[in-house]
Amino acid sequence: MAFVKLARVEEIPPGQTKYVCPEGRPVILANYDGGIYALTGICPHRNNPLEGAILWDHLIDCPFHHFQYDVRTGENHFPRNVYPPDLPRLQTQLRPLKVFPVKIEDGWIWADLS
Amino acid sequence: MGKVARQVVEQAGVNVDVLLDKLIRAASAEFTTFYYYTILRVNSIGFDGEGLKEIIEDARIEDRNHFEALTPRIYELGGALPRDIRGFADVAGCPDAYLPSDPRDMKQMLNVLVEAERCAIRTYNEICGMTFGKDHRTYEIALAILHEEIEHEAWFSEFMGEGPSGHFRRGAPGASPHVRKFMTADIG
Ligand SMILES: [Fe+2]
Ligand SMILES: [Fe+2]
Repeated sequence: MAFVKLARVEEIPPGQTKYVCPEGRPVILANYDGGIYALTGICPHRNNPLEGAILWDHLIDCPFHHFQYDVRTGENHFPRNVYPPDLPRLQTQLRPLKVFPVKIEDGWIWADLS
Repeated sequence: MGKVARQVVEQAGVNVDVLLDKLIRAASAEFTTFYYYTILRVNSIGFDGEGLKEIIEDARIEDRNHFEALTPRIYELGGALPRDIRGFADVAGCPDAYLPSDPRDMKQMLNVLVEAERCAIRTYNEICGMTFGKDHRTYEIALAILHEEIEHEAWFSEFMGEGPSGHFRRGAPGASPHVRKFMTADIG
C-alpha cells in the first residue's frame, strides 16, 4: 500500500473537483454526496488531463470532449450510453478511470495510488 | 485578424489561446453534428419518425448556423480552422452522434439527440462563463448559441415525455432566431 497525501478536505467543497499531480501522477479528486473520491486524472479517451473537470451529480465531465465518468466506479457513462454496439471499435474510447482507495486523517486526503 | 480586437480581450484577462481552442472545438462539434444529424434525419421515418424529422431538421440547420457564426470570430481573434478536415473532426468538443443500431427505435434516436444537445449546452455555458464581462463579442455569440442549444434539448426531451417546454416549431426550418444576426457572412 502506498498512500499519498493529496490535499486538505476543505480544498474540495461539495460538488467540486480538484486536480493534483503528486510525484508526476495525475489524480482528480471529487467531493460527491458527502464522500471524497480519487480517480486517475487523465481521461482515457485522448489522454487529456481532467484539470477543471466539472461534477454533474455523480458524473465527472472531461473539459476536452465532455466524456463523463461515474465518480464512484470510474465507468464511462457518456458517450457509452449513445455509442452503438454494432461499431465495436468505439468501445476502445470508453475505458474507465481507475478509482483509488481514499482515507482522511486530520483533515488531509490520502489515496493509495499503488 | 484584428489587432485591437484580440488585444482588448487579452487585456481583459482572457487567455485567448485557450479560448480559441474551445471555439475551434465547438465549431468542429457543430460541423460534425450537422453531418450526423443529416443521417439521423434521413432515418427518422415511420409512425414515430415522421414526427421527429422536423425538429431534427431545425436542430441540424441551426447547428450549421452555429458553425457559421463561430468561424469569423475564430479568425478575428487570430485563430484558424485546421487545414485538414480530418484533423478538424478529431478535435470536436463533443462525441460523435452516431446513428443507433436500430434506427426504427425512436427512444435510441432521441437519446443520441438529447445527449448531443446537452453536451452543446455545457460547451457554450463554459464559453459564456469564460468570456462574461471580458470578451463581449464572443460572449454574445456564445450566449446566442446557448439559447438555441437549450431549445434543442427541450424539443428532444419533451418528445421523450420528460415535461413540456412551452416551445413551438420554428416558422421556417432552422430559422436560428438568436444566432441569425451573427451570420453576417451567410445572410444577405
Ligand atoms: Fe449547435
Ligand atoms: Fe444543437
